[in-house]
Amino acid sequence: MKNSRLKKEFIKERQFFLASPAILWQILFLYIPLLFLIGISFFRSFEYFSIKHVTLDNYKVLLTLSYAKIIGRSFLLAFFNAIFCFILSYPVAYFLALRVRRFKHILLFFLALPFWTNFIVQVYAWFFILDYHGLLNSFFLKMGIISQPLHILNTPIAIYIVMLFCYLPFMVMPIYTSLSKLDTFTLEASFDLGATPWQTFSNITFPLSLSGVQTGFFLVFIPSFGEFVIPTLLGGGKLMFIGSMISYFFLETRSVFLGAAFTCLSGLFLIASALFILWLFKKLFR
Amino acid sequence: MEIRSRFSRYLLPLFVTLIYLMVYAPILVLILFSFNKNPLSYEWHGFTFHWYRDLFKSVEVFDALKNSIIISFSSVFLTISMGLLYVFYGATTLLNRYIVFFYGSLIMPEIVLAVILLSLFSFFSVPLGITTIIVGHTLIGLGYVVPMIRARYEEIDYRLIEASLDLGATQNQTFFKIVIPLLYPAIISSALLVFIVSFDDFLISFFCSGAATLTLPMYIFSVIRSGATPEVNALSTILLVVSSLVIFILTFLKSEDSGILR
Repeated sequence: MKNSRLKKEFIKERQFFLASPAILWQILFLYIPLLFLIGISFFRSFEYFSIKHVTLDNYKVLLTLSYAKIIGRSFLLAFFNAIFCFILSYPVAYFLALRVRRFKHILLFFLALPFWTNFIVQVYAWFFILDYHGLLNSFFLKMGIISQPLHILNTPIAIYIVMLFCYLPFMVMPIYTSLSKLDTFTLEASFDLGATPWQTFSNITFPLSLSGVQTGFFLVFIPSFGEFVIPTLLGGGKLMFIGSMISYFFLETRSVFLGAAFTCLSGLFLIASALFILWLFKKLFR
Repeated sequence: MEIRSRFSRYLLPLFVTLIYLMVYAPILVLILFSFNKNPLSYEWHGFTFHWYRDLFKSVEVFDALKNSIIISFSSVFLTISMGLLYVFYGATTLLNRYIVFFYGSLIMPEIVLAVILLSLFSFFSVPLGITTIIVGHTLIGLGYVVPMIRARYEEIDYRLIEASLDLGATQNQTFFKIVIPLLYPAIISSALLVFIVSFDDFLISFFCSGAATLTLPMYIFSVIRSGATPEVNALSTILLVVSSLVIFILTFLKSEDSGILR
């Protein structure tokens, strides 16, 4: 066959070399450094950098309550952020996928647009809303809901609010995708057979959108876990999260080895908690 | 035939409108207040372009802009050329199987990427600066570009490539005269995407830059931390507009493209 002759011609060493830079780049700057980071977490410093000096000291230093609290706090932030995102996103995704006919793509586009704009700017914009003299307080004051401005900025509440709205598109998109694949005939069938709207939703629509919910959950949970910008800018620096702790180790105290151990420890915790949540999903819904 | 209830008719649209409002309120307020005469107050004092004029006089901003542009253009160039080479020349070699390698940078939290790069650079005492940031941005960029270009490459009619080779074109000629023109839409949109990702990236730049190098997002970050200035509002507005424009073009290209080719 002509095809096989051509294919043979294709396979040359030269091709291999021309194709390899992209792969090499990933190996050299992602996979090797990753192993390297795991490796150096078992050493104390560059002076003691031989196989004789492999030690668990870094991990022993980190096994204290204050570091456990930081990891726990990040976990709670990521977990509840994903939950809140789910609560707010589901109706939006449902509306866009099943209720809107025209302008569907435009509405979806405008939901995702802020996500593609500069993240720092997006976070910064929330200062205008949440500040002591900001929009939210003046609005509440005018409405007569509160008599004194609330302190929101530099509190955990600010972190939670901004995280929620910055990660919203990550949750809406996958749920939207799974809902728009839904066969509307199943909904009609359920309706014809006498199910109430609520029954249809809880027995058909929701179970069929679970794969989207699960994807969305992890798309929010994983990046929230290491979030650095939002807690740093809006938390007032009072509460440490994993992201801020890592940057403290690497950029401020320059304790690379301890930082490496902390990063590995948090990474392990992230993987373990993600697996646990995955298991929970399976247990609860299947 | 749709299941309708009072909930889905009134409450749901209201809820969705509220969400959109909450997503856009901060950004719109920021844009509005970048034109405010009194920069320190959250009340409207009149319209001015003053802060934009100040912005163009600032040497720091200009430097950061220069760095940002150098970094994002280099990352775009590197990712696109390496990505294209991988997709075309790798298509028939063993390397084709290792596409999984490109997903790693997308799965990991960005701070982990930043930290592993930093520890590598500091171990080999590589001087931090523009180059190290480009390395990082190219790393994430490839994660977007390779799957995008490959998806399009697989849609190409393979007979066109075969015909070209059959009629005596060398592989390089086929690459430049057949494959690249056919992949053009995918190249443009992935280039725009990498540009946006690199131009807006903060974390990798923050970790992999030395003390001397500032990009625009880093400049904004440092100013916000030390108390925001009105120029930052203006700069933020400009960045918002630039990113949105690029995304508009990208979406437009994509919808055009899929209309013609499918």
